[in-house]
Amino acid sequence: MAIFSADLANRPAAILFIIGKVLRFLFFLAFLYLLVGKTKVLAGYRLSQVVFFFLTFNLIDIMSQLFLRGVYHFRPKLISGNFDLTLVQPINPLFKSLTAHTDVLDLITLIPLSAFMVFFAVTQGLAASFANILLYLALVFNALILALSFHIVVLAFGIITLEVDHLIWMYRDFSGMGRVPIDIYKGTLRAFLTFVIPVGVLMTFPAKALMGFLEVRMILFSFFLSFFLLYLSLHFWNFALTRYTSASS
Amino acid sequence: MKKYIQVIKVTFEDYFVYRVNFLLWRLRAFTQIVVLYFLWRAAIPEGANILGYNQATILTYILGTSVIQSIVLSSRTAGAAGQIASGDISNFLLKPVSYLKYWFARDMADKVFNLFFSVFEISFILWLLKPPLIIQKSPKFVVLAVLAIAIAVSLHFFISFLLSLVAFWAPENPWPPRFLFMVIVGFFAGGLFPLDILPPMLFALLKLLPFTYLLFFPLNIYLGKLSNIELVTGILISILWVAFFSWIVKVVFRKGLKIYAAWGR
Repeated sequence: MAIFSADLANRPAAILFIIGKVLRFLFFLAFLYLLVGKTKVLAGYRLSQVVFFFLTFNLIDIMSQLFLRGVYHFRPKLISGNFDLTLVQPINPLFKSLTAHTDVLDLITLIPLSAFMVFFAVTQGLAASFANILLYLALVFNALILALSFHIVVLAFGIITLEVDHLIWMYRDFSGMGRVPIDIYKGTLRAFLTFVIPVGVLMTFPAKALMGFLEVRMILFSFFLSFFLLYLSLHFWNFALTRYTSASS
Repeated sequence: MKKYIQVIKVTFEDYFVYRVNFLLWRLRAFTQIVVLYFLWRAAIPEGANILGYNQATILTYILGTSVIQSIVLSSRTAGAAGQIASGDISNFLLKPVSYLKYWFARDMADKVFNLFFSVFEISFILWLLKPPLIIQKSPKFVVLAVLAIAIAVSLHFFISFLLSLVAFWAPENPWPPRFLFMVIVGFFAGGLFPLDILPPMLFALLKLLPFTYLLFFPLNIYLGKLSNIELVTGILISILWVAFFSWIVKVVFRKGLKIYAAWGR
């Protein structure tokens, strides 16, 4: 709550940031309407489906940033030695490092986005069935687990190499490839984005499941992948802590 | 002049202090080009002509704007905001160095660096993916495109520097106007899509604004898509915007120095 209050204390800045976020969303949405409106299909998907992929991307992106924004403030803590103080506090240092700087502006944009998504999916008739809706929600949760794993890995790398900023922005760039269905990428690149850096699992699979286009084996694969990566990332974090050398304290 | 050349050299050395940082930055740049390439290749298949573009033209446009972007939109002037906010600008005010020229020198170093690696990255994409490309054979269009790029470099420098000067009035948080500017430039400079696919009225309005002349206008000159009148009008409008922003920067900087209180020093 203290961080929420601090974010809103500088109202002109908060307003400008919200305007920027909303404009960025609307501009890309307008671009999709312009592009797919003329081409009629994109990688076999019609306009409403492509838009829903984009909306799902935004939902997962905003939710992961809402809960995991602390990673953007981690490097200064490492190089100043303030991470030592986090380690001695009676709170899990991983939890604190991930969630320390929740941005209330993300919450403000999440609510209207969620409402619009429900309205859009219903009016466009995108859901194949009620079961597909439940599957969609489960895969969105799954995507957040995957995003959590990536963020933990970034923090762990940060402890070992002091490199955080470009790594997290690389995650943002790769996950940004999921703004549109990853089916637009061909051959090796699509396989890379599904199995190696699983942007497809993160951003594309939930919407595909809602529309009834996702095979059962891929659904099972995505759940297995996210929990396996979470397990690995937690081990990596623990390993990184054993390699932590304080800058000062 | 020698001191600014020294600034350029130091800026170059800066990049190699954190090598992992540097590699990741270039990988990010490469990823962004790849995303746009595949998006447009899927949107406009071979043999199709959509929105006035066939596959060769649109892929040339996307790869071309990526190269121009590395020259025009790369900038270090955001650092000026941090210096003003922390009070470090005081060091420069005491020295026989023009603050504006100092940051221009840093910008030039950044652009040369970006261009060097961008050419490698684009060459790798050309080798790997072998896209159909349009090579401009007319020297007139090539020369005019280079001129338009030079104007775009100056235009972006002055706008970016102006945004940093916000720190004089809002030292605690000078970033929001820059964020908003980046969002607007991201869509209206022509890096994501050619602006002439927009509805005609909107495109006509955009031609009066400075953003069009950062990426879209230079690339369109290269593609030979502009008439002589459009060429001359475009260059004149872009020069007028440069003159306007250079004047505004001087006025705002003077006003900023009057209220500057060296907070943080």
